[in-house]
Amino acid sequence: MSEELVDPAVHEKVMAEAERIKSWGEAAERFARDPVNQPTINNWLEAIGLDSPRFTAGEAPPSMAQVWTMYGLGGRPSEDDPLHTMMTVLTDAGFTAVLGTNCEQTYERYLRVGEQLRVTTALDSVVGPKATAMGVGYFVTSRSTWYVEHDDGTSERVATMLFRVLKFVPASDPGDRPGDRRDTREDT
Amino acid sequence: MSGVLTGLEVGQRIPEWTLPITPTLVVSTAIATRDFQDVHHDRDVAQAAGSKDIFVNILTSTALCERFVTDWAGPEVQIEGIAIRLGAPAYPYDTLTFGGEVTEITDGVATIKVVGRVSLGDHVIGTVRIAA
Repeated sequence: MSEELVDPAVHEKVMAEAERIKSWGEAAERFARDPVNQPTINNWLEAIGLDSPRFTAGEAPPSMAQVWTMYGLGGRPSEDDPLHTMMTVLTDAGFTAVLGTNCEQTYERYLRVGEQLRVTTALDSVVGPKATAMGVGYFVTSRSTWYVEHDDGTSERVATMLFRVLKFVPASDPGDRPGDRRDTREDT
Repeated sequence: MSGVLTGLEVGQRIPEWTLPITPTLVVSTAIATRDFQDVHHDRDVAQAAGSKDIFVNILTSTALCERFVTDWAGPEVQIEGIAIRLGAPAYPYDTLTFGGEVTEITDGVATIKVVGRVSLGDHVIGTVRIAA
């Protein structure tokens, strides 16, 4: 099937690059700009409309895990970011469009105000080529892992995320149909 | 079962929740999740990229699943994971309608299937795992 959808030489190069990037393991380590903090929690609670006494008493909403390590305004993934690097490989191979398809987060526990987070990103898998309603492309799955840094020097894993995107050759006229969603998220 | 999961049964449905999507909702949630991608706050850019309008970002889709289940189960419940599949975009002036169902209860962890629909189809389909 792959031979029919994509030039075999291109496919071979994509998969070779995927293996190379996967071998980096957890990479692109970085720290949250700020510790888990109440003002950022309050902004999130207001916007999402969630009301819980726990989140004004020292705990943070679990799905905020990713919020703490977002790059922020003008932020860019580092050159050694596995997801960013794989996306560039596929863009250069002609798979220019991107669509977020899956996000699976697991929380070991709720975070607490004052905790300092660190995140790593690994390339989990590259699967394809697939013929989808959006076009021919590859599913790229990355794995992010969040750690809390403790004062005694130890790290505690607190949350993980599998994030999958479809990197594809866009149809000539995508139009405005269900599933036509351009979310170019590459940061965590 | 104990604590907040007492009385839960597989097949039990969660009352529907509807959320009008406004430009303010899309923008305020994008910024509150520290997601500054222009397609979530700049309609001109979003349309130039082929989108009908700005649209809800993924962190917010996840957060709304957290809110939907927390509002129903109560704040004392412990959310252990949220896994979502993304479908139709959620644009301003549409409405998100959330529904859910208890699909599994194993070893003190209940799995809730959650679907958030918009007029174009399912925006988010996922599972939220909760424990007492």
